[in-house]
Amino acid sequence: MTSDPTMTLLGARHQKRPSALKKLVSRVMARNLSCLIVPGPEVALAHGLDVTAAGMRIAATPRDAGVLLIIGELSQKMDEVVAVLYAQMPRPRATLVLGGPAPSSLPHPDVSAGLSQEELTEAVGRVQRAMAEGAFAASPEDFDASVLHVRIEYVCPMHPEVVQDEPGSCPKCGMDLVAHEAGEDEGATEEASGHHGHDHEHHHDHEQQHDGSDGHSEDEHSGHEHDHGASGFMSMIEVTKDLSRSADGLQMDWLEVPFGPVFPGLPGGLKLTFTLDGDGVTGGQATSLAGMTTEGEDFEEVDAGTFIDHLASAMPLAPVSYRLLACLAIEQAAGLNDDPATTQARNAALERERIASHLGWLAQVGRQLGFAWLTHRASTLQLQFRDANRNRFVELEPALRALGTRLGRTPLLKARLKGIGVLSTESSDLRGPVARAANEGGDAWARLWQRLAEISASFDLIKGAGEPELPSLRDIGGVSGTGEATVDTPRGEANLRLKLARGHVKSYKLDTACSHHIGLVEKLVEGRELGDALVAVGSLDLSPWEVIP
Amino acid sequence: MTVAIVLLTLFGSAWLLAVIEGWTVTGRLQPAAPLLSGLAHLGRESIVPRSPDRVFFEAAPVLLLVVAVLGAAVLPLAPDLVIADLGTGALFINAALAYVLVALIMAGWGPNGAYAMIGGWRFLGQLIAYSMLIVMPITAVAMRAESLVNTAIVGSQADLWNIVYQPLGFVLFYIAAMALAFRSPFDLPTAEGELAGGVDAEYTGVRLAVLRLARLTLVVTLAAATTVFYLGGWHGPLLPPWAWSLIKTLAVAVSMLLAGGYLPRIREADLMRWCWTLGIPLALLNIVIVGLLILVVP
Repeated sequence: MTSDPTMTLLGARHQKRPSALKKLVSRVMARNLSCLIVPGPEVALAHGLDVTAAGMRIAATPRDAGVLLIIGELSQKMDEVVAVLYAQMPRPRATLVLGGPAPSSLPHPDVSAGLSQEELTEAVGRVQRAMAEGAFAASPEDFDASVLHVRIEYVCPMHPEVVQDEPGSCPKCGMDLVAHEAGEDEGATEEASGHHGHDHEHHHDHEQQHDGSDGHSEDEHSGHEHDHGASGFMSMIEVTKDLSRSADGLQMDWLEVPFGPVFPGLPGGLKLTFTLDGDGVTGGQATSLAGMTTEGEDFEEVDAGTFIDHLASAMPLAPVSYRLLACLAIEQAAGLNDDPATTQARNAALERERIASHLGWLAQVGRQLGFAWLTHRASTLQLQFRDANRNRFVELEPALRALGTRLGRTPLLKARLKGIGVLSTESSDLRGPVARAANEGGDAWARLWQRLAEISASFDLIKGAGEPELPSLRDIGGVSGTGEATVDTPRGEANLRLKLARGHVKSYKLDTACSHHIGLVEKLVEGRELGDALVAVGSLDLSPWEVIP
Repeated sequence: MTVAIVLLTLFGSAWLLAVIEGWTVTGRLQPAAPLLSGLAHLGRESIVPRSPDRVFFEAAPVLLLVVAVLGAAVLPLAPDLVIADLGTGALFINAALAYVLVALIMAGWGPNGAYAMIGGWRFLGQLIAYSMLIVMPITAVAMRAESLVNTAIVGSQADLWNIVYQPLGFVLFYIAAMALAFRSPFDLPTAEGELAGGVDAEYTGVRLAVLRLARLTLVVTLAAATTVFYLGGWHGPLLPPWAWSLIKTLAVAVSMLLAGGYLPRIREADLMRWCWTLGIPLALLNIVIVGLLILVVP
């Protein structure tokens, strides 16, 4: 493994032979692997992967991670994010890519494997061996990516129109110019920010010595935010004269802080940008960095079977629902009639996915609220339900009921969720559980109980229906026509219209619940405390993949 | 000698806590795991974020550790096993632990990152919530002992532990101590799901190892304080005094560690509101009740 010239495990300066101590430390590090999952732990669970069981601790931040675990194919935007995350990880670090091409922004992955638990376990073993042998190996090449670069410009503290590329003094007032990062407010660099908005690390020109000393990372562009000296003589009233006023009447600096797209309390791929005043949110918006890009015009004609696979794999959090949606639309276009037995088996599969998806949401709530028991319990159940048959369902029933009872009795939970993220029935953008919960109070607490109720309802449906079976396309031949179908996915109704020509999908139009829900974020977070704002966003159960641009 | 024993006990307890915590998370009892994970931290790069406040960034984890050890210095393990049996011991703990806030603000400001900074300031709010609930129950404890000397406080509980004598004070102090140690559900300054680690977020390598050790030691110190103030300190049958102190301290510390996993994080606004509208009146009531008991019961 270590002879691989593209090895990215970076360590100290070249050592001829590692000392006994270093060997010991690297072996220990190999046994203490923690990984940052991109896009997020919920995607790993949706694929049926139990990362903890495979031998890695799940880290919340890149700082805490030794392994970057990338699951599935990433969008172009996420590619850039991954480079920032990787740069933020302390060395030695490794990349592990599962079931997708390696991101172009990263060095060649140390280990790649397929999307299954066995392959994951085996791959973790390989990472451990690589770490044990190569943790202190000399780095063959330093990591650098264009998204990590920042341009420094010099501005006058008094005259914002004076901007130079070099330090100097202001031609108008003679004050020293202050260093400032260019493009801090521009879209391009904002998109690329991973965990920590304004501290992309530059590792490349600093070799870290692993002997305890640490001559590292003193960046040349120091003090751009702490340089208060220049404005020291001004009174606070003057300094804050033109700044907008916050709710408490104080005029202060507002911080624009990104949350996500890889953030422990939010679905992976979803990026929130909050304008913070202290820890109050004065404004915010959500964007999806994951998700479909082939929509409308640049869609190339594919045959029906491929289309179904594409749509299902484009929605990793609800593949069965979208597979079913595509099958139904295509079958309708082909003029096939419903077959009761098939419909029943398909619906059972849909309901099974709904249970697994809602359990995945509960696990996410647990992560967001630091409620470790809930995360553990819900994700264990999700993994068990994901491909359970009817007999297994009956076995799992008591555990599911117990979960609901326990949540009802958990202290602090109601105080945390009640009255947060209220959505009224008047809003026309509500779909699925969010819409149904709007009648019951419309807050995060109501949405929790709505989803728990749906889990029970789906459970009863499956018991009454047949064995769940993954939807597969019936033979349609080379027909042409238009079809439309609607499926109630775990996150709400999704509607698909498509044109079929000689058995090929010529064009399609997809409408999903999350496309509507993401627009609600702005209203939900405004004026809320940071924790409440995040709970409100989390309670929508947004899937960034299902946001159609 | 005493210093060595107390320090060894303190860090030994922190280690035991880490083992127990690992046990509950992984389901396996691995005595070496905390030491190995510490060693692994030493092997990792210790990143300094871009444009940090270097002094604050470096000093914060060390300060937190020093504060926790200082607090433990006045807590007796046995009648003669205490580093400094100060005349104002009960007050000294409170004074030492006030620097937890300073350490966290420094850790929040130092790395020049938004998450850390919000975490640091959040703890300032938390201090405003919990600090009265540390001081006021201690007042009632000192009233009964008629002394601020910690050994005298333990001595006053020879017949009846304070947990029975003033249960209300115990509950308030216990909750406030958890908030002070910023353990979940009061982990507002670190809040993984809200601030991606907050004040912890930018620390890696050896600095993170120190920070983690400091946080565990802080829990042990607060558990030891709870033991001294409410659980009768070294009093107990059969076993030697130091063993009783240790057992009680560990039991309290474990309960503080484990409770968090079964609860969602508290809302910041709720913490403030409950502490001031409910906690402080109850703490005053506790003082009144204890005062009456002292007057009425000879």
